Amino acid sequence: MVLSLDHGRPMDTNAEVRVGPTPTPPQRRQKVGRGARPSPLPYLYLLPAALGLGLFVYWPLVDTVGLSLYEWNLVSPVKQFVGLANYRALLSDQGFWISVVNTLLAIVAMCVTTIAAPLAVAVAALRVRGAMRFVYRGIIFSPTVISMAIAALIWLWMYNPMQGLIAKALRLLGGQGFAWLTHPQLAIWAIIIVTAWKTFGYNFVIFVAGLLAIPQELVEAARIDGANEWHTFRHVTWPLLAPTTLFVVLTTLMLSPQYLFIPTQILTQGGPNRASNNLGYIIWEQGFEVFRVGHASAIAVVIFVAFLVFSVMHFRLLERGVHYGA
Amino acid sequence: MKRGAWHWRLMVLSAIMWTLTLGTTSPGLAGEAITIDYWHINSESFGGNAVKEIIKRFEAANPGIKVAEKYQPAGYTGLIQQAQVAMAGKRPPAVVQMSYNLLAYASEALPHYPIENFKQKDAAFFATFPANILSLGQLKGVQHGMPYGLSTPVFFYNADLFKQSGLNPDQGPATWADVVTMSQAIKAKTGKYGTYLQNPNDDWMFQQMVLGNGGEMLSADGKRVAFDSPQAAEGLQVWADLTNKHKANPNLTRDEGENNFIAGQIAMYATTIAKLDHLKKNAKFTLRTAPLPRFGTKPQRVAGGGNALFILATNPDQQRAAWEFIKFLHRPESIATWVQGTGYMPPLMSAAEDPKTLKPFFQANPLMKASLDSVPAVTLWQSFPGTNGLEITKLVINATQEILAGQRTADMILKEVAAKANGLLPK
Repeated sequence: MVLSLDHGRPMDTNAEVRVGPTPTPPQRRQKVGRGARPSPLPYLYLLPAALGLGLFVYWPLVDTVGLSLYEWNLVSPVKQFVGLANYRALLSDQGFWISVVNTLLAIVAMCVTTIAAPLAVAVAALRVRGAMRFVYRGIIFSPTVISMAIAALIWLWMYNPMQGLIAKALRLLGGQGFAWLTHPQLAIWAIIIVTAWKTFGYNFVIFVAGLLAIPQELVEAARIDGANEWHTFRHVTWPLLAPTTLFVVLTTLMLSPQYLFIPTQILTQGGPNRASNNLGYIIWEQGFEVFRVGHASAIAVVIFVAFLVFSVMHFRLLERGVHYGA
Repeated sequence: MKRGAWHWRLMVLSAIMWTLTLGTTSPGLAGEAITIDYWHINSESFGGNAVKEIIKRFEAANPGIKVAEKYQPAGYTGLIQQAQVAMAGKRPPAVVQMSYNLLAYASEALPHYPIENFKQKDAAFFATFPANILSLGQLKGVQHGMPYGLSTPVFFYNADLFKQSGLNPDQGPATWADVVTMSQAIKAKTGKYGTYLQNPNDDWMFQQMVLGNGGEMLSADGKRVAFDSPQAAEGLQVWADLTNKHKANPNLTRDEGENNFIAGQIAMYATTIAKLDHLKKNAKFTLRTAPLPRFGTKPQRVAGGGNALFILATNPDQQRAAWEFIKFLHRPESIATWVQGTGYMPPLMSAAEDPKTLKPFFQANPLMKASLDSVPAVTLWQSFPGTNGLEITKLVINATQEILAGQRTADMILKEVAAKANGLLPK
């Protein structure tokens, strides 16, 4: 006797064995309510969310594209249409390109410090047994609960080249303090360090959750089959962790440029001489410090398009190697 | 039926709310008190109570006008941002404090009601102010704002470190050459830094060095910048040399510099007199003040800090009420309360001589004398005309940071920046 895999019922041995769901016969469209139209109810339920999104996300987006074609400060009676001049100006705007380079640098640095490092720490943290494992997890996660502004202020004191903790530690070791925030090469790193320190814990917790969700039977099976630690990680843990990794990679890539804003505002204001400026900060600087709203909007539109392409590409690329449903 | 009843109740409630909202904001209905919004940056520790006290007196003297004061926590930049948002929403505040470095921008790019409109009618009021003070609210000879808050740069110094270094603790540096020799003595005897010139995200100190050495920021016709002159380069090179050649001025952010001065790591600190209260409360050493040093025998010239009052109200009744309020703020007794609350200098020197109020106040606060003595030397904190004016200020800030980095001379950097800035000025 052969069982059909989809129903589990005994069936005629002459019949074809089918795998997968039974094709449903074509159904006639059911009439809903009095008329032939589908119910508007689901759309009604969607309306509050759609309205909110439309009003606060998509409309500003469209409006920004419009603003990028003007030279205007939002309130002046003189609103001059300049076409694509704001976009053309970007090509030769040194400040903009410094910001692009700094942002890319920050993204690469964040990928190492807030993806690879938290994953390694999460794997290590799961090996700790007893009550201490909660203590470790708590300590590692704690910077995440502090607001970014407070985190930046804490680091402002730490970076102080004469009184700060870092300078004091360096002096103990026989070195001397650096003026992190006024040094053209160090300033951007000062911002990246704060941002990485703040986001490390969040990604760590996501990885811990992802690792805990991996069925232990599979890990044990691999060990019984003679796999060593690295092989177990490489061939069992890593593939099953892929959805978590995809989530962490995407959120880090998308959010890093935004995270940079607050520490930049508090620590360097983009200085010295634009050395720590970045895409998150330059939009604010152009829009609300020097009130060149058209210029700021053009930068925002360019970033939007770049990240749209970037995220679609990444999603497609990464999804190929992702095994959902572990 | 029940659902319908709720519907009607909600409609009535909404109507009441709307009426209330409109009622509280519609200005100048016949017979009703006019309410004007006054936006300021005076936190509780920076004269907030003085502001409330003056408003109380104003409302008692002017029963037809109510003043709704609103503190803006993000300083002058935050205030102008919020004001732009309010203006875009067609609900501008009636009176705002506008920092002097935003004067050109506000005069040209923000819709406002210029104070000039009251000059003929209230000629006697304007006659009481010295010309250099009135000029702080003017652009191309037109009085756009009414100068109100006034601060000058001063040299705070640590008298204890002076004593330890064998310097006279009652004598601050008179010239920039003195700053160098004093810094060297301090470094040799105590190992501490000599001085720190404030360097926040603005160009105030840059302008002090240019103006003090006889340079200018902008040409008389406003068509080109003037900070590429030899005087400007020489003035800024003094700052660069203090930093890189003499190693007397650590290149720090303003917060870092201030904290290290308070901690006794730096002996002198050039900043605004408005910092007096903060430094007095936190420094654990004998604090003294001196006027900003001079360049040799050149006369003292300082860029004034603080704010001018701008009228942003669009309704004529509110504009008149706003003007009455501004005049009241400038009465000698209001000025006395304002000066004592904020530590700003009086825009009217006559008020400083009032034996009932400010004269005894200044006698009891001798550290303010250095600033009061600088008031006659106050000149405009130059902002740049045109829609790109603030972008030019940003170029100047970036130039300051590059000059202090010491890779190239001030002269080279200024020439390059001036060429860029000239391209941004209206022709």
